Amino acid sequence: MEERLYDLIFICRPDTPETEIDKLIATLQHAVDEKQAKLEKVEKWGVRRLAYRVKKLRDGFFVYMMLRSTHGELLKELERRLHVSDAVVKYLTIRLDEEIKRRQKLSKRRERRAARRPRKTAPAPAAPATPAPEQAAANG
Amino acid sequence: MPEETPSTPAPQAPAHQAPSHHSGGPSGPRPGGAGARPAGPRRGKRNFVRKKKVCRFCVEKIDLIDYKKPEILQTFVQERGKILPRRMTGTCARHQRWLTVAIKRAQNIALLPFASEL
Repeated sequence: MEERLYDLIFICRPDTPETEIDKLIATLQHAVDEKQAKLEKVEKWGVRRLAYRVKKLRDGFFVYMMLRSTHGELLKELERRLHVSDAVVKYLTIRLDEEIKRRQKLSKRRERRAARRPRKTAPAPAAPATPAPEQAAANG
Repeated sequence: MPEETPSTPAPQAPAHQAPSHHSGGPSGPRPGGAGARPAGPRRGKRNFVRKKKVCRFCVEKIDLIDYKKPEILQTFVQERGKILPRRMTGTCARHQRWLTVAIKRAQNIALLPFASEL
């Protein structure tokens, strides 16, 4: 399986001691290492206000991590761990690689366009350009 | 060419009326309603020039709308948490599509409200 990039965010109860959160991160890290995956980023965002109440809590301690894995089961395992943990109230994993690929494609195209027409610095998006010929066809 | 000239003002007329009527709901008067108006040049208060809205993400060349930044997403959401339509914000179709995905992700991890409580 090819390598995939994931975002993993989880929210802990705001009253959990930071050592416990660190411990949780360490266990996740261990699971990640076991599957020969790579933890690209770990960020502790700290206590933030939640947009809505989760398990009767109004604030939560956010932890964000980005990981690169070839094993899909790893994510299942991590989610299971988060689910079991008492401190975690909410978690979310998102697959990112496709979006990043799309972004690279777009920026590459933009570069090419800029190279082709140096005087037009801001190329119009493809969306508004396409309906025009259709409209003309409908009118004619 | 002669076919095009009568057809072009018709879609323009409702576009100018749209802001005044649209607050009521999605079912505003359709182009058929414009026909009831006396023919000739449009005049009166309805005829105003609107500023051309441009897609903010296109201008700033943002290809990846980050769901982790609720401050940015907040500007595309109504006070009660509804996603603003394209006609209000001027976002291009492509970016609006990505924006909705980003907003929904942010909602899922409590960075943005589904519906803000009062």
